[in-house]
Amino acid sequence: MISDATLSGPVQAPPQPLRLPRPATPTRRASAWRIAPWLYLAPAAATLILWIYWPLLDAFRLSFFRWNMLPGAPMTFVGWENYQNIFALPKFWQALRNTGLYILGLVPLAVIVPTVVAIYTHDLPARSRNFYRTVIFVPMIIAPVVAAAIWRWLLDPAHGMVNEAITLFGFRPVRFLQDPTVAIWTIIVPTGWKLIGFSTLILSAANANINPALIEAARMDGASKWEIVRDIRLPLLRSTILFLALMTILLGAQWSFSYIHVLTGGGPLGSTTNIFYILWDFGFSTLSVGWSSAAAVILFLGFGALAFVLLRLMDRYSFHDN
Amino acid sequence: MTTDAMTLTPARPLPKPARRPRKAKPRRSWNTAAGHLVMVVLAIFCLFPVYWMIVSSLRPANAIFETTLWPSTASLDNYSYALKAIPILRMLVNTLVVAATVTVVQLFTGLLAAYAFARWRFPCDKLIYTLIALTWLVPFQVVMIPNYLFVANLGLLDNLLALILPHFAAALAILMLAQSMRSFPREVLEAARMDGARSWRILWEIVTPNLRGTIASLAILIFISTWNEYFWPLLLSRSPQNSVVQIGIQMFMSSEGTQWGPLMAASTLASLPILVIYVVLQRQVIQSFMKSGIR
Repeated sequence: MISDATLSGPVQAPPQPLRLPRPATPTRRASAWRIAPWLYLAPAAATLILWIYWPLLDAFRLSFFRWNMLPGAPMTFVGWENYQNIFALPKFWQALRNTGLYILGLVPLAVIVPTVVAIYTHDLPARSRNFYRTVIFVPMIIAPVVAAAIWRWLLDPAHGMVNEAITLFGFRPVRFLQDPTVAIWTIIVPTGWKLIGFSTLILSAANANINPALIEAARMDGASKWEIVRDIRLPLLRSTILFLALMTILLGAQWSFSYIHVLTGGGPLGSTTNIFYILWDFGFSTLSVGWSSAAAVILFLGFGALAFVLLRLMDRYSFHDN
Repeated sequence: MTTDAMTLTPARPLPKPARRPRKAKPRRSWNTAAGHLVMVVLAIFCLFPVYWMIVSSLRPANAIFETTLWPSTASLDNYSYALKAIPILRMLVNTLVVAATVTVVQLFTGLLAAYAFARWRFPCDKLIYTLIALTWLVPFQVVMIPNYLFVANLGLLDNLLALILPHFAAALAILMLAQSMRSFPREVLEAARMDGARSWRILWEIVTPNLRGTIASLAILIFISTWNEYFWPLLLSRSPQNSVVQIGIQMFMSSEGTQWGPLMAASTLASLPILVIYVVLQRQVIQSFMKSGIR
C-alpha cells in the first residue's frame, strides 16, 4: 500500500529498519576493521553526531543548570530544580493540553477529510483528476512563513477577507486570533491547509492501487456502495490511514510552530502555546537555558515513548498484504 | 515499492469499463458531478489563499482593502516599496545559495554514506543505520539551544555558513539513497570490481548515474524544504543582509501594524522561485514529496 520508500523516510524506525543488502554470496567477507566504509560514512556521521546526538546530550546536561546564556553570567548547578519548576508551572500543563488539542484538531484535516475525499472522488476522469492534483498540492510547497503571512492577512479582524465575507452574510466579525477560545482552532486551519491536499493525494494513490477486481467481485455479490467502502476500501487503506495519523500525532504540534510564532506568539493568554512553542519561549524570550533544556528533555522522552508505542501499534494493525 | 505506480496513477489507464454496467449511467454522471464539486471546493480552499496573496500584492496602497476578486487597478508599487525597505534581492540570493549548497552537500554525503551500507558489511553497521534513522525522533526544538550556543562559540552568528552546516547530512537522504542502492544489481558492482575499478570510481561512474531518479527527486525535496526553512534562520539571523528571505517576510509584520501590500509582495517574491519550479516540474515535485512522506 504505502510504499517502502514512503515508510523509509521518517517513520521506519524500530520495526524493520534493518533490511540491509545482503549479497547472496558474500564475496568480500567483512574482514573486521576495513577502513573504507568508515571513510565513506564519516562526513554524514560527523554531521549527525555534531548537530543532533551531541546537542541532545548537551541538552540533558544543561537541564540541570541555571543559566541565562549571557556571556559572563554564572552557570549554577541546580539539580532537579528546573524539572520541579516546570512541572509546577500551569503554563506547562496548558501547553501540554494545547498540544493535544492541536493534534485533535489536525486529525480531521489531515486524515479524515482526505480519506473521505479520496474515496468519494476515485472515479473522476483521469484528466480532471490530474488537474485537481496539481492544484491541491500547492499549499505543501508554500513556505510556512508565507502561509502564516497570508492567513494573517485573510483573518485580519478589521479588513481580512474572511471577516469581510462573514459580515457580508450578516454575522458579526470573529476575532479569530485575538479571542482566546477561538485562537487555537484558528491556528489549526493554516496548519491543516498545508497538509490537506497532500494527504488527499497520498490516500487517492493508495485507493487507486486497490485491485478493481475485488470491488467488482463484491458488487457482483450484491454489496452496496457503503458496504464496499466499509468492508473493502477502508481495510485496504488502513495502513495508509494509520501512517498519516501517526505522522499527525507525532509531528502535528511541531508543524504548527511557524503559525503560532507569526500569528499569535503563543497568546492570547497562552491559549495557543504548545509544548514546542514554550521551549522557544523559555529559551529565547526569557533566556532561561535550564528551563528550556529541561522542557526539551521532557519533550524528547515523551515524544520518543509515544513514537515507540505508536510504531508498535501501527506494525500490529496495518494491513501488510495487498 | 508501489510508489511509482501510485503516483503515476492518473496516467495509468484504469480498467474502468469492466466495473460499469450500462444501466448505471445516469447515476454515475450524477456521482461524477458530486465528485467534481467536492474537488472544486477543496481546490478553491487550497488555492485561494495563494491567489489572494498575489492579487493583494498588486493592489495599490489606497486599494489594499478592496475585496474584489480582481484588482480594479494593478500596480507594482508594493514590490518597489518592499525592494527599498529591505534588501530583498540580496536575501533571495542568500536563500538560493543556502538551498543550493545544502542540496548538493546533502546529496554528496548521502551518497557516500548509503554506498558504505550498500557495498560493505562492517562492525555495527546495523546499529549505525538505526541510529541514523532515529535522528528524525529528535525534534529541532530539543537541540536548538546547544546548537545555537555551538554556533555562537564558533563565531558564526549572522553568517550564512551556520545555516548550511547542520544540513550537511540528513537521515532522509541517506535512507532513501541506501534503499535505492539496495535494488542496484549486485552483479554490476561485482563485475566492476573484477575490472579492478576502485570503490570510489564505482560509486561515481556506475552507481550514481543509475540513481538519477532518486537523486533528482531528493534534490527537489531538499531544495524546497531548505528554501522554506524558517526556524533555524530565525535563531541566527541578525542583519538583513545576512538573512534569508523567510526572515525578510517577517520584517513587514509588527505588533504596531502590518504593511499588508509590501508583505504580500515580499511573500510573493519569496514563493515565486518555488512556484516556478513547481509549474515546470509539477509531476516530479509531487512525486518526490509523496515518496518521502511528510517533512
